Amino acid sequence: MKFVCMKCESFMLFQKVEKPGEDSLGVMFECPKCGGRFSMVTNPGETQLVNALGVKIGGRTDTPAPFELTRGTLKESVSAQPQPAEAAKSEAGSCPFSSMLAGMGSGEAQKPLNWTSEALDRMEKIPDFIRPMVKSGVEAYARNKGFQVVTPAVIEESKGDNGGMNWSPGAQQRLNNIPEFIRPMAKLEIERLAREKGVETVDEVIMDESKGKFGQFMTM
Amino acid sequence: MAPQKDLKSILSKLQYPDDAQVMKQIVDQTIQVKTRMGRIRQKIVVMSGKGGVGKSMTTINLALAFARQGLRVGILDVDLNGPCIPLMLGMKGQQFEFTKEGAIPPVGPLGIKVASMEFFLKPDSPVRWKGSMELSPVWLGMMEMSVIREFLGDIVWGELDLLLADLPPGAAADKPPAIIGFIPELDGAVVVTTPSEVSADVVKKSLVYARDVGFHVLGVVENMSGFLCPECKTESPLFEGNIEELCKKTGVTLLGKIPFNQKLAAACDKGVPLQDESEPIVQRFQNITRKISDQLNIQVKASSKAISASPPL
Repeated sequence: MKFVCMKCESFMLFQKVEKPGEDSLGVMFECPKCGGRFSMVTNPGETQLVNALGVKIGGRTDTPAPFELTRGTLKESVSAQPQPAEAAKSEAGSCPFSSMLAGMGSGEAQKPLNWTSEALDRMEKIPDFIRPMVKSGVEAYARNKGFQVVTPAVIEESKGDNGGMNWSPGAQQRLNNIPEFIRPMAKLEIERLAREKGVETVDEVIMDESKGKFGQFMTM
Repeated sequence: MAPQKDLKSILSKLQYPDDAQVMKQIVDQTIQVKTRMGRIRQKIVVMSGKGGVGKSMTTINLALAFARQGLRVGILDVDLNGPCIPLMLGMKGQQFEFTKEGAIPPVGPLGIKVASMEFFLKPDSPVRWKGSMELSPVWLGMMEMSVIREFLGDIVWGELDLLLADLPPGAAADKPPAIIGFIPELDGAVVVTTPSEVSADVVKKSLVYARDVGFHVLGVVENMSGFLCPECKTESPLFEGNIEELCKKTGVTLLGKIPFNQKLAAACDKGVPLQDESEPIVQRFQNITRKISDQLNIQVKASSKAISASPPL
């Protein structure tokens, strides 16, 4: 199965498989040209059908463990193994967005970053339902900058990262009006919208459009 | 913004990138099964169209008989929902050891390597799958075949002279023929039945099916062929059927008859299999293995005692 970005006339690329809910898979795709992303969420029946074939959605990036299917699918087993998506789920909070974002990278072999105890303490102060998403953002920033260890300074630095996107003063002011706990997620969504529009600066026009999409949850 | 084109014209310009590689994954699975099975010299399935005729009992006693002759033997217990080989061999509670190379099977009496669903299960737990798999026989069937594929492809058997696969009950166009199709370069099947006319009738269908699809049947083992009274030592038939006649009609070899034997039954139940070659019932199994060896040209490595053609019980 393939998805086509009708705007860019390009196949969207498979990114990863996540597990947003019990017996369900979220398969994320991204357009290589505009960066637009979406996740196709399967219902439990489809997921079980694929599981029963012993085939990994999106292709294999690793060697299957012995009896991967048997051990992962038996209800009660003396030798069950944790599934990657389940491991991601354990880090997720109650927010569906953070649950999805917690799984980012789970389908790809990425070397885990080291966190100092001070940096972990800082993360503990963030509400748990948003923590996985913030952690994911900080780690993406750290990897992009080539940091091997996440310190409080890296966390602080990542707050000002715009991922190559400029913000007009007016838009920045309106972003600051969004409650702090949800601001990182809103920022990501607004920047994604801006990229979809093909602009390099988030201005008040983009903010207005963003408000139309998900501003009912925010004061912006 | 440029006007959007229709999907057909967009697709005509794009090359389809098959990054999911579903077919490759399935081919890889098949190659893995072939590679694992390729290291095993001879592969035999023990099957029957009918349940409860003694397939597992026959399997372990044939395995023991072959092992006594110096062969390196493995047993694959493919009866996922009713695994009983580990219990009969006194191996209940053992588990696979999982390594990067695959699952290492527990080793039982006479060095027999055993793979069974039982090794995954908690005590007294039945096989139950996650999700609503149990609601749909279609999904369940797919799932079970994939699990069997893992049993064939994921076990590190090492060098084996012989693998005996104990199949679940089922006749034509059922799970056993599908499993048989899964095992590359299978050498043949041992079909187990009782003399019961009901059992013989079902087994006959299996034999006809095997003949029609060109699958080699090594022969038939008649289990529970009679009962030897421990008190008066008189042998009495348990059923009125005629398996010899069935074999003649279908052109299949009668490999041997195994009478009901209390000592053998108790040994299987207790997980302490009979191994004393002076036991007449043990000699019956030895004779069956010789007939199989002759057909498959299996080279017996260690000399064993000369056994009369039909030892008294």
